[in-house]
Amino acid sequence: MLRAFLLLPLLGALLVAVFPSRRPEIIRRAALAVSAASLLFALTLVFLFDPALAGQQFFETRPWNPRVGSSFSLGVDGISLPMVVLAALLCFVAMLVSTTISSSAKFYFSLLLVLETAMFGVFMARDWSLFYVFWELTLIPLFFLIDRMGGANRHRAALNFVLYTLGGSVFMLVALLLLYDAAPGHSFAMADMAQGGRGLPPATQLLIFAGLFIGFGVKMPVFPLHGWLPLAHVEAPSPISILLSGVLLKMGSYGLIRASETLPGAMLAVQDWLAALALVSLVYGSVLAWRQTDLKRMVAYSSVAHMGVVLLGIATLNVTGLGGAVFQMTAHGLAAALLFLLVGALYQRTHTRELGEIGGLIGRAPRLTFLLSLALLSAAGLPGGAGFIAELHVLVGGFDRWGGWVAVLSLGVVISAAYALRVTGRLCLGGTPHADPLPDLNRAEYAAASALALGIVVVGVYPAPLLALSAASVREIARLFGG
Amino acid sequence: MNELRCIAEALAATSSLVWLVPLLPLLAALSISVRLGFAVSGDAAEPATAGLARGAALAVLLLLATIVLGSFAVEAPRVVERGDWMDVPGVNVPISFVLDRLSLSVACVVAFIGWATLHFAVAYLHREPGFHRFFLALCLLLGGMLLLVLAGNAVVSFVGWELCGISSWMLIGYADERPTATGNALFGFITNRIGDAGFLLGIGLSFWWLGSVEWSAVASGAIPETVKARLLVLGFVTAALAKSAQLPFTPWIARALEGPTPSSAVYYGAVMVHAGVYLLLRCEPLLLQVPDMMAALAVAGAATAIYAWLCGRVQTDVKTALLYATVSHVGLMVLACGLGWFALAQGYLLLHALWRGYQFLMAPSYLLLAPSQPAPLPRWLATNTFLYTAALQRFWIDRVAHGLLTRPTLSLGRDVREFDDRVLDRLIGAPREQALGAGSPVQGNGVAGRTLLRISDLLQQFETRLVLEGEGGAMARALQRVGAALKAIEALLEQPRYLMLMVMATFVVII
Repeated sequence: MLRAFLLLPLLGALLVAVFPSRRPEIIRRAALAVSAASLLFALTLVFLFDPALAGQQFFETRPWNPRVGSSFSLGVDGISLPMVVLAALLCFVAMLVSTTISSSAKFYFSLLLVLETAMFGVFMARDWSLFYVFWELTLIPLFFLIDRMGGANRHRAALNFVLYTLGGSVFMLVALLLLYDAAPGHSFAMADMAQGGRGLPPATQLLIFAGLFIGFGVKMPVFPLHGWLPLAHVEAPSPISILLSGVLLKMGSYGLIRASETLPGAMLAVQDWLAALALVSLVYGSVLAWRQTDLKRMVAYSSVAHMGVVLLGIATLNVTGLGGAVFQMTAHGLAAALLFLLVGALYQRTHTRELGEIGGLIGRAPRLTFLLSLALLSAAGLPGGAGFIAELHVLVGGFDRWGGWVAVLSLGVVISAAYALRVTGRLCLGGTPHADPLPDLNRAEYAAASALALGIVVVGVYPAPLLALSAASVREIARLFGG
Repeated sequence: MNELRCIAEALAATSSLVWLVPLLPLLAALSISVRLGFAVSGDAAEPATAGLARGAALAVLLLLATIVLGSFAVEAPRVVERGDWMDVPGVNVPISFVLDRLSLSVACVVAFIGWATLHFAVAYLHREPGFHRFFLALCLLLGGMLLLVLAGNAVVSFVGWELCGISSWMLIGYADERPTATGNALFGFITNRIGDAGFLLGIGLSFWWLGSVEWSAVASGAIPETVKARLLVLGFVTAALAKSAQLPFTPWIARALEGPTPSSAVYYGAVMVHAGVYLLLRCEPLLLQVPDMMAALAVAGAATAIYAWLCGRVQTDVKTALLYATVSHVGLMVLACGLGWFALAQGYLLLHALWRGYQFLMAPSYLLLAPSQPAPLPRWLATNTFLYTAALQRFWIDRVAHGLLTRPTLSLGRDVREFDDRVLDRLIGAPREQALGAGSPVQGNGVAGRTLLRISDLLQQFETRLVLEGEGGAMARALQRVGAALKAIEALLEQPRYLMLMVMATFVVII
């Protein structure tokens, strides 16, 4: 079942590839239909999923390369399922708002569908070699999408992005091989490797963990490894920014959770350092986001800060904090996607992303204004938005572990409120109005944006179902650390 | 006989539905406000709004009548509790209602006047632009009044009390395009807030000293220390005097006439004014403990009665004259309370409210109904220039209050504002007017803002130099240096002699 789900977008990509390239609208419709089908499939999975069970569900495996012990195994649990749904939703949204692509639609939509398959693969793989393959597979479509369709500095951004990620994943590969070598089973299956990894001496675990952390830390990104992010986010076309920040970043934190499952000894040893790194990322990202006048760049840096919250939640290693981290992954996925969508729409209309050059939106584009304010405020952790629930969980979990140190998180929240309110104030309420006519969001954009906004509010006001979805799996992980 | 008994018990059982009584008008108000949210207007929308309000009032009236009948037949439970509103350790506020002669009789009168007035207003306000808003305020006032009267404890009463305050503010400021109307609405509201402060003081002290806010506990609360009892009574008495427009709070009610119609005047002229007296009646046993406060009450009531009578004599319009007559009668009720004649005050209250309601509704037609000119002023008042002027000027209370209270408060406010502007805002960096809109989007105000700006500048430099700059950045330069070194080694290795050397070295290692 998961196999069909995984291959659906790939088949869609093949289908799109054979369409005549003169008819971009048909290609777009076809791609949209495929991603809508994937989204429905993902929602069906949610209905069939039993949140009471901690283990993998819909698990299927078949040998892939028996000589080295790799297998093609797929499965979802309470941590990966929200990510799968998020990926499906954001892919659909990204295709829905890609209305201006016409010249190279075939190229664009087929790559987007390949990317969707790769993202599903990362979240559903139950074998580290398969995970690695899909991890690398995301790079190829993204490189071409940024390099061909991006902004002025697109070549540099694409190269930078791929080099950073490849550099990180080399470390990850080495670490995985080390683990494969050190663990007794000689199998790449996640369950086997986890069993082997838990038995390793702490020093070996630490070494392996360091490699994995560099790989995942680049993707997340964590403070000194985030150099690719502002460039790539700013230069990528806005549907790609939606996916980059909404889903691709979560791959890093998702991998980190899987790594902590595999190497609990190392995780316990570096717990405090991870928290320190998380707090630095948080404040660093918030301050830089506050500093930017380019809206897209601001959202990009705010992603660094929000992923800092995720890292802090993971580092707590207790049920509350981990639950908050998993929740924040969804919450930030929705909020960042909404922000990039709206900023992209704004850029399309005004051809500028400079905060100083746009203003007075409220009378001219009320839908855009309302949704933008909502997205900014919920990203800043306003109660009623999804981010608040996540931050609260992480705060409570972190307080159990480190006491007053988590006040730094509040500092980050205060700074994020400062830039959120500044943007709301200048862009929506005051400021110098942009000279050109400014049409409001069109129907496709409005539908996509309000779906995301609705998601943020619903999850924020009634978080219980989403928390319950991942509760069992989170408890299972926390049990490893006695939390 | 047995059947009668059954009917009586069924009637008595309705007393557990007493929570519906204040709720129905409030629900009507809510649905009217929802309708307002959908921007209803025009003739076609009027019957629905009026129907909602009148239906709620009629239902309340019938329900109250049933409860009263039931309480005649069977000894009904005096207190009905409907769960807890707040239950924090130390603070327990149940949603309770008290059903005794006092509350039921006043509630019936209030509901009846409310129902009659709503009927009256349907025709009177036809095609007014604020038709729906007006009915919303009337329903709110009716609900608030009923809640205030029926509530079993001071906190729930206070909710009703505040609803009355806010809805009378809405009614006085009905013509919101006229500055006098909104100004007077604000004046009335603020004067009432002084009374609210007294009420809150009373609530807080009863929590503190009595551990409960149930009227039964508050009223009979035996506090041995006279000072404490006096303070507690002072709170409730201040509230009562402000709401009932007794001296020195009288001026607000004259200004409240800015409301559009007799219907609104009925509400605060004939209904809400009595809320203060009701509060005094509720606190009867408590008042009896503090004779000096009773004396003060008597003095205030008597002074108000004389003052309002004098002012009323010189008025030339019906509504104001009626209003001063009301105030002077309410003053007499307060005097009665002060003298300890509570039963008299209660009867007086009920009859006066009904009679005054009738008069206020008739007020627009008085010029037609009156057979002749009104009686001239008595000689002693007409010839006494000072008294006449004083009465005409309403004894300058407004102006004295302005000089003694408003002006000092305003100048104090100015000073504080100045301090805020010059010191606090600069320190904290509250955004100024010019911060939104003009200048660079990134700017820091105050100490915190400037620190943030400085730190962010540093971090941005770091980010740009080390991370972002592909060419010429520190990271790229280091990489290039390493690359150059590697290239040099490779170039060396490519030369045959070094290659041979390598091969030989390998052989040496192997051997």
